[in-house]
Amino acid sequence: MISAAGRLAIVLLAVCAAGCARSRSEDAQLAGGPAYFGDVTPPEHDVFTFNLGAEPESFDPALATGQPDGRVCRLMFEGLTQPDPRTLETRPAQAYRWDVSADGLTYTFHLRPGLTWTDGHPVTAEDFRWSWIRVLRPETGSRYANLLGSVVNATAFTNGELTDERQVGIAAPDDSTLVVRLAAPTAYFLDLTQFYTLLPVPRWTIEQHGNRWTQPANVVSNGPFVLRTWRQNDRFEFTKNPRFWNAAAVRLAGVVGLSLDDQNAATNLYKAGVIDWQPGGYLPSTFIPSLRRYADFVHSGYQGVYFYGFNVTRKPLDNLWVRRALSYAIDRDAIATDLLKKSRDPWGNMTPTGFPGYQHPEPVRFDPELARQYLARGGFPGGRGFPKLSILISTSEDLRRMAEAVQAMWKRELGIDVTITNQEWGSYMQATKSLQFDIVSRSWIGDYLDPNTFLSCFVTGDGNNRTGWSNPGYDQRLRAAAAELEPARRLATLSEAEAILLDESPVAPIYHMATNELIKPYVRGLYPTPLNVHPLTYLWIDRGAPAGATASHQVR
Amino acid sequence: MTRFLIRRLLTIVPTLWAIATLTFFMLRWAPGGPFLAERDIPEGVRAQLEHTYGLDRPLGEQYLTFLGRAVRFDFGPSYKYPARQVREIIAGALPVSLELGALALLVALLIGVPIGVVAAVRHNRAEDHAAMGLALAGVSIPNFVLGPLLVLVFSLGLFVLPPALWRGPESRILPVLTLSTAYVAYIARLTRAGMLEVLRQDFVRTARAKGLPEHQVVMRHAMRLGILPVVSYLGPAAARILMGSVVVESVFQIPGLGRYLVNAAFNRDYTLVMGGVLFYAAFLLILNLMVDVAYTWLDPRVELA
Repeated sequence: MISAAGRLAIVLLAVCAAGCARSRSEDAQLAGGPAYFGDVTPPEHDVFTFNLGAEPESFDPALATGQPDGRVCRLMFEGLTQPDPRTLETRPAQAYRWDVSADGLTYTFHLRPGLTWTDGHPVTAEDFRWSWIRVLRPETGSRYANLLGSVVNATAFTNGELTDERQVGIAAPDDSTLVVRLAAPTAYFLDLTQFYTLLPVPRWTIEQHGNRWTQPANVVSNGPFVLRTWRQNDRFEFTKNPRFWNAAAVRLAGVVGLSLDDQNAATNLYKAGVIDWQPGGYLPSTFIPSLRRYADFVHSGYQGVYFYGFNVTRKPLDNLWVRRALSYAIDRDAIATDLLKKSRDPWGNMTPTGFPGYQHPEPVRFDPELARQYLARGGFPGGRGFPKLSILISTSEDLRRMAEAVQAMWKRELGIDVTITNQEWGSYMQATKSLQFDIVSRSWIGDYLDPNTFLSCFVTGDGNNRTGWSNPGYDQRLRAAAAELEPARRLATLSEAEAILLDESPVAPIYHMATNELIKPYVRGLYPTPLNVHPLTYLWIDRGAPAGATASHQVR
Repeated sequence: MTRFLIRRLLTIVPTLWAIATLTFFMLRWAPGGPFLAERDIPEGVRAQLEHTYGLDRPLGEQYLTFLGRAVRFDFGPSYKYPARQVREIIAGALPVSLELGALALLVALLIGVPIGVVAAVRHNRAEDHAAMGLALAGVSIPNFVLGPLLVLVFSLGLFVLPPALWRGPESRILPVLTLSTAYVAYIARLTRAGMLEVLRQDFVRTARAKGLPEHQVVMRHAMRLGILPVVSYLGPAAARILMGSVVVESVFQIPGLGRYLVNAAFNRDYTLVMGGVLFYAAFLLILNLMVDVAYTWLDPRVELA
């Protein structure tokens, strides 16, 4: 007789054997072919499933504030222009062409004929005008209202100094023409029209349903996909929009975005073949070294810089030589290579790579001898008498390890002691904004492909400056660049400004951001891009692709 | 009984008020705020946002408004998710947490009580040692270790169960197992201790003397009193397990309440935190009351006054 426990063991063994027989090897691999991380069986239907990274806060374009929000908005709505999936250059979308006046101040967009919303209303230039004015209205509460800051009277309107919306430089003289007047030439204005904040929204639906207009039952949109279901903290399901002007070119039948905020769980779902794309920023950093060998792992540069900011309103950081000494004593190579396992690149500039035509000024570098000389000139030879400063970080294992590395470098090279202060996010933000720190760990990510998105932060009094630093020569160059119409001269002026910033060192750049993502080999049309922006409209699932796995059991 | 209920219900009100007040002021005194972000918000927009949420009013006035609304369980819109009412968020996430918790509690009882009874009946024998060894292991393994281990074996190794998400019956298995393990262990120990004490008492001896078969003595007579410690443990345990386990919901990415509340605190989402805390407190107080009532039913010696 077999005991109950014995029988249970047999059943378990049988389950295990069945499971093992069905499962593929740890990594799907063809004989001699590339290795992939987990299941590579294409989905049965043309439905693309990806990780949104977190629950979107809002999918009303005017209120959307981050990557997850933006991705949902861009599936549902289409703007005047759209980014090229590879280069992010501005391409026609709802507008099929545009003219820019010779003085660079007037942009005239021409909409395609026959555009419609999902409820059959025609898409008109007035819809765009109303949507953009809505972004600017203070009562809308759009955090990106200043994207339109270069438009005539836009800032005054947002700050409530002007209440007549007709005085704002956005007009729709007829149904298919949108005219935008700028207060000063803005080289990157066209790029801004790709941004999700400026997507058009349906006025009548918003007026009828108020802030519930984005509910799946109410929402009316004009983009490639329609929102069918939304379950909070779980998933968004979209199906193809047959009324979309370019529906014939849309090959996916649907898209599913999962609100996954745990990076390990999301990576497991990718491995099990439930999600087809683990976008940049959502891979646990400890996984990266071991993921490198897989063919579906994609590493690329990202328009972002990680840096330390110095509070120049505090002693001794008001001293130029002290700031330079600290910056030159940071071994950026060691941080990127040893600590971050080459998942990032060491970087000594405040603007990242990837701006065509922009010449970076001389970067700051690791030079301990020079750093010691600077510190001596600052009044602290050998680090003697240097007060105990603190590095402020927000709670994160990686940030702490980095701060500890910098702490050790400064001790070793300069003979000074610093402490590390760790605060949870809310307190950290408050401290950073109100200059309640000595040295702060920060990063900045570009909104559009232009050095201006990095350099404008450090203009005197800018809300994102957060160092207390002010330099008239720097401010003057940023103003001059904004008014400059000739692209090469404009970039040269910005480069001069960056040289001032690096020379004055209110900030010490440390590494260039990178995206590390996982893309299933059967996904086509999805490319790494410098802004981690990925137009998903024209993706497709390639069923002919690698056929690596012998999967019969789909965990979904 | 009625007097008891009324008295207890009356003490719940000041308790909730104290919790609400403490939470309200602790949140406001925490540095940072809901509208602080890496990217600066235009001044006009910030002023408008603060006005919309009443943050530009004196703190005392904000507090009174908050209390007035809280009585009706209205906390207004979430700060982080401006298009959603706190009430809706809780209503949407609660059923998920309740389902996960109820299943886990059920599993814990179905496994834990029998293990405890067997251990007590077979006191100091091999079965007892095995059961208590298992219980010790169950209590000692934290959720955040057990969950990923189960995922590693069943999802990434055997490919038989999904590694995460809350979709379809098969997705329930791993999270429920993970969540129930610690409770199984605890319930087994409580049952064993309770049963050991009861089995030594006179009325059990009487029952045996009457010639009742042993299983009847244990199941019908001893069990009813022996599981009293489990019942009193169930109140707080149910409140904890039903309101969502932050760890299990996060490991398995389950759209329950626990995940929301923790994120809300980090985001300084004042309204969502307040709504969540008060809801949780009320839930806990009411469950404790129910446990007291259940006591009288199980143990005739207990009188409510």
